[in-house]
Amino acid sequence: MAGFLLHPPGPPPQRVWAFTVIAAALALVAVAAPREAHAQAGNSVRLEVRLTPDSAPRGQRAPVVRSDNLLGDGRWLSTLRSGLPVRLHYRVEIWRSRNGWLDQLTRQVYWDVVVRHEPLLDQYTMLTIFGSRVQERRYATLDALTAALAFAYQINVSPAEAGSYYYTATLEVSTLSDSDLDELERFLEGDLEGARGREGLGDALGRGATRFLLRLAGLPRLRLEARTGRFVVR
Amino acid sequence: MRPLAVLLLLLALPPALRAQDSVIVIDPDAPAADSLERVGPPPDVVAELIEFYNDSTTTRVQGDVAFPSGSRFDGRLALHRGNLRIAGRVEGPIAVANGTLHLLPGADVRGDILVIGGRLIRAAGARHEGRQRVFWDAAPVVQTEDGLLEIRERRRPIGDLAAARTSFQTGKVRTTLLLGTGGTYNRIEGLPIVFGPTFDLRTGRRSALKLDLRGILRTAGSETKLADFGYQARGEFRLGRFGVAGRVYSELTPIEDHPLSPSEAGWSAFLLQRDYRDYFDRRGYGGLAWVQVTRPLRLELSRRRDDERTVRATDPWSLFRNSDRWRRNPLIDDGHYITTGVQLDLDTRNERYLPSTGWLIRARFEHSSSGDVAPVQLPRLVRPDVPVGRRYAFDRLFFDVRRYSRITPSLRVNARLRADGWVGGDRFPVQRRVSLGGPDLLPGYDFRVSTCAPSGFSDPALLALCDRVVTAQVEIRTRLGLNLGFRTRAGDNRSGRFIGIEEADLVFLADAGKGWLAGDGPGQVPVNRIPSFDEWKVDVGIGLDAGEIGAYIAKGVSDDESVKFLVRLQRRF
Repeated sequence: MAGFLLHPPGPPPQRVWAFTVIAAALALVAVAAPREAHAQAGNSVRLEVRLTPDSAPRGQRAPVVRSDNLLGDGRWLSTLRSGLPVRLHYRVEIWRSRNGWLDQLTRQVYWDVVVRHEPLLDQYTMLTIFGSRVQERRYATLDALTAALAFAYQINVSPAEAGSYYYTATLEVSTLSDSDLDELERFLEGDLEGARGREGLGDALGRGATRFLLRLAGLPRLRLEARTGRFVVR
Repeated sequence: MRPLAVLLLLLALPPALRAQDSVIVIDPDAPAADSLERVGPPPDVVAELIEFYNDSTTTRVQGDVAFPSGSRFDGRLALHRGNLRIAGRVEGPIAVANGTLHLLPGADVRGDILVIGGRLIRAAGARHEGRQRVFWDAAPVVQTEDGLLEIRERRRPIGDLAAARTSFQTGKVRTTLLLGTGGTYNRIEGLPIVFGPTFDLRTGRRSALKLDLRGILRTAGSETKLADFGYQARGEFRLGRFGVAGRVYSELTPIEDHPLSPSEAGWSAFLLQRDYRDYFDRRGYGGLAWVQVTRPLRLELSRRRDDERTVRATDPWSLFRNSDRWRRNPLIDDGHYITTGVQLDLDTRNERYLPSTGWLIRARFEHSSSGDVAPVQLPRLVRPDVPVGRRYAFDRLFFDVRRYSRITPSLRVNARLRADGWVGGDRFPVQRRVSLGGPDLLPGYDFRVSTCAPSGFSDPALLALCDRVVTAQVEIRTRLGLNLGFRTRAGDNRSGRFIGIEEADLVFLADAGKGWLAGDGPGQVPVNRIPSFDEWKVDVGIGLDAGEIGAYIAKGVSDDESVKFLVRLQRRF
């Protein structure tokens, strides 16, 4: 078959096929570094998640997530000043630790922060998006923006059932394509239907191409992960 | 998505303390509420700043200004835009608009300080006597030609990056003008150009009117039996969770929505002259009503009347293999069809494009009928003669259930079950028939490996003839750091941009599917049965998915299939 299915001219023997798959998997696992280690060590942006003090009677503790030094990286400031919005997607997950078996994801919470530079005003707009609630703030100086980006978020999602738990936090930093931005604008205008619904005319070719080109063009993209220690709910 | 709301600690604090508060408390269980809150410094404080700045007794400075150690300034001092660095003595109040005030070691300020739109950075050893108010949020001020400050009206945000789409506000109506490509590149229309306005009117806090008008310019040749221009017009009214809409259209419609997404099918056609979809011309009108029962759950009822006609493939240009012939576009059963449908959508995914958890369920039932169908000749095993003297009517059921799960922090398992096909009435017309095989549903097999064509029946269009298809897919994903590329150097020896792909998902996949004709004839499956799993086609594979591009190898294991190599421009599902 041609096109997006490109295959060699003849069918290889079954054993060769199986060997190829296994060898490819092993090679990939061998050469690829664990993602978390790479992200935290290779970039100056930092993500931390810590537990609130152990003061609840049953030992419940909430996570506090904070990222730091995003603009110290330089790449993101350059991206902002190039006119591209930067999106910070935070996700916090509650994991229940189960000895001798796979840990269990019990809940997750996520929110977004979108920052963009408005060159005509020389200001930075920061949108904080929690579900359907959006908060917009503007900052005129990098100092103020840097400080605002270092806000800590305390998530009130303590587990209810007894057990051993830990939290993981993920921060994905990326640029927004024009389609994403348009979708965001529609969301901000209250058009939840349009923003969440079907792909609009004109978007199909453009969205794929834009995302692909953004990805390969060397525009920064970053994913950080962090986790807390275990705590016990009695 | 689970409803989220936030209790911002800063909202409960006195205004002067908001900017400095650095902990935001999120309560996911608080009642959800749609809102857009624009936070800024209190208007009365901004007015005070402007009054201070514009006072004729105030010394106004701009940009970066420094008062060195040993210097002394008496009076009212104001700065707009810049950094005010004080290491000497200032006797009098200071105001800073959209700038930063630095009190350096040795600074001695005796007067009130007001900073809006910046920070106060105070070094150890700096002295200050007086009131101190700092707001990080930008002051909404602009400088006039005579050097004074005035309130800047907040402009409405627009998608200022979209070169071919712009929006503006006229009174209560928001207008968006679009000029773009329409859907996909294909062998019927070439590259359709879509243009037209969208008008949005917020009629109330919970209600909105929208009118979407689109013209479609088709760039392919005129031998397609398709008009050079198409159109789509849609008007809708939303009130809270309810909505109604009406549509009028003349558009090119794909017969099946797989084996590639519209964007991938477009790129495949444009680059490689391989169009993986078949199309027909649809002109008509219809209406729908929906209710958003909960945020993830939506129910829709629709009715439409379509004039469906065959269109011919033409010969649009492609980057490679341009001298090849395009696959023929099939003949369909022309006629006017009236379709009534009900659809359910449940979407609890945490993200739309790269979900890691949640459900996506879409189920649709349609009843269609026609009084003037002009059927093409199909083998009797595929379809008995179309009835004469009564309406030709049939029922269709489609469902697509997807589950995204994270089973460890770094391991995800995704599964999908999809079925589509005839469930009652007369047998399907050509343009409702289905097939199986290809990159989306069965990547280990060729495109349309299963068309249900009886032996001896050959069609250059590779016509889809099945009554029903069902597929099940599962994949396991884990994230890997790849660093496939190189990192540029920034000027000051810091690492710069990474050109290439830094990370990707390692994907192990398995798929199974079956397409069949329903009935009691030879090779058919009874209408109340699903074929035994032994008869399904099964494939396995492995791939790397970087989100916007993925590469896979897959092989069918239930037949003697060759290994397939695939490139995808989005996630499999």
